[in-house]
Amino acid sequence: MISLLQALVDGVLNGGVYGVIAVGLSLVFGVLGIVNFSQAQFLMIGMYVAWFIWHATGIDPIIGAFAALVVGGAIGALLYSCLIRHVADASVLAQIFVTVGLIAVLENLALIFLGADYRSVKTSYQTEAINVASVLVSKPYLIAFTAAIIVSVLLSLLLNRSWLGRAIRATAQNEAASTAFGIDGLRTKSLAFGLGTGLTAFGGGVILPYASVNPTVGSQYIVLMFTVAVLGGLGSTMGALVGGIIVGIIQSVSTLFLPVQMKDLALFVVFIAILAIRPQGLLAGVSR
Amino acid sequence: MKQALIVTVLVALGSLVAGFVFDANSYPIRVLCIVLLTASMGQAWNLVGGFNQISLGHSAFFGIGAYVTTVAQVKFGLNPWLGLPLAMIASVLFALILSVPTMRLKGPYFALATLAAAEACKIAASVMGITGGPQGLSVPFVGDSWAMMQFRYPGTYVPIFVGLFAISSIVFAWLVSSRVGYFLRAVRDNELAAEVAGVATFKTKLFSSIVSAALMAVCGVLFAQFTYFIDPETVFSIPNVSIRAALVVIIGGVGTLVGPLFGALLIIPLEELLNASLSDSVGGLPPLLFGALLIVVVLLKPAGLTSIRVPRMGGRKS
Repeated sequence: MISLLQALVDGVLNGGVYGVIAVGLSLVFGVLGIVNFSQAQFLMIGMYVAWFIWHATGIDPIIGAFAALVVGGAIGALLYSCLIRHVADASVLAQIFVTVGLIAVLENLALIFLGADYRSVKTSYQTEAINVASVLVSKPYLIAFTAAIIVSVLLSLLLNRSWLGRAIRATAQNEAASTAFGIDGLRTKSLAFGLGTGLTAFGGGVILPYASVNPTVGSQYIVLMFTVAVLGGLGSTMGALVGGIIVGIIQSVSTLFLPVQMKDLALFVVFIAILAIRPQGLLAGVSR
Repeated sequence: MKQALIVTVLVALGSLVAGFVFDANSYPIRVLCIVLLTASMGQAWNLVGGFNQISLGHSAFFGIGAYVTTVAQVKFGLNPWLGLPLAMIASVLFALILSVPTMRLKGPYFALATLAAAEACKIAASVMGITGGPQGLSVPFVGDSWAMMQFRYPGTYVPIFVGLFAISSIVFAWLVSSRVGYFLRAVRDNELAAEVAGVATFKTKLFSSIVSAALMAVCGVLFAQFTYFIDPETVFSIPNVSIRAALVVIIGGVGTLVGPLFGALLIIPLEELLNASLSDSVGGLPPLLFGALLIVVVLLKPAGLTSIRVPRMGGRKS
């Protein structure tokens, strides 16, 4: 019973972070109709940004994550306006393989300039846990979760209350009409893409206290991110958070029954099943 | 098509001759074998990717092929020539199972589902006991033997790889020029219209994906016999198998007969050349260049490099 409760707590805490990692993917798909296969590499970028800030100044990676958001966002916006916008109306093949090509480019740039070794941070709270009724709440998980929730709320405010958010949603709904109302389509879409990649980079920063970074770290998260985004419904931003928590729970509860190495296997099977049954996402239409 | 056939036949014959003329243990011959294998993998991918079913999970079929024959040989003493049809059957069965949830998916959703399926296979191969787990399996070396499909030097493999390349090319050429080929193009251009016009779209797509899975399994079998060692990270690798197969096709020309061959002839020797001339510290350079090349081709020449024609030759599109 305790172990189930423990698994649920771990699952929810991890899942909240998965939500913020995957919400960018959802946002980009919702606004641009493009699936960014290189989204997980922005997680890697965010982790490196937070690591270098910690390494140079000792600033906690949770704070560094906000710098990661800016750097990841700037790189994403630049890549959108230079490369990805040119495939907006191209074939599905072109849309998929532009970002698949980006995976190789980003990973190997990191490999060439930063080397293959794993880097991790040391923080004071890294190994600490809070004991709540014999359930251990890991401090780094809790902090990462809190940061993820705060950013998700900020994102929701940004999208629903600010002019930029309105411009993004207007462009997603009808680009021709939004242009007629004076919204700069290219600028809005670059910002939306950058916001998406920035949020994933932010997620990279917050997980750094309990995860190490190397150039190929993204490949561990790619299917996971897509599972979260598809579960919540690609295009639905609040869905991503709920999807993240569901995925976190599936992962941690499945380790109670299955060997640890198989936790992702369970997830992938769930993913394919969801794609087949409800590709619009379990929550699409329920929340947006 | 005629030009493409001539080129394909010439390359096959040339490779065969090269295999006999050059030193069987030489490096260029080894590269030639890998070119032919990669071109065949590309051709297998082309059967589905060329018709708008963008799979990122072909490493699943490749790995299943490699594992079925190797496990059968190592654990049950089965001859790899007999393991080959078993590998094809296993791969086709997996394609059939996978088709249930994926066949109706479109574009990125199909790509995602196939990607997840291949990753799931990789994990399954590392967890199962019979596969040797993450440490992988070695094919026992018994000396030069046609009966056991293994040889000391790459040169002796050349006829086998030429055979694989010839079969995959013939299958592709036959498929695109047959009734099924017309159906596939109809489905590619407009699935709904094809369905309305009476094309059995599900059956058509299923047929091409089964043929593709079987071919990819054969590639996996030959890879295991050629390298004598397989592990989940290698044979189920998304970048080195799934994306590699797609890469050579896209660089050469999607849906064309010579596309995969052209792509493999460009990519593989270039990679070997770069790896040989660069120090280990810049080992990431070849994949970086290929990723960039993929982006450039997709943006500027989506029909592939073989679509470039010297104007004098008439600028015909194939």
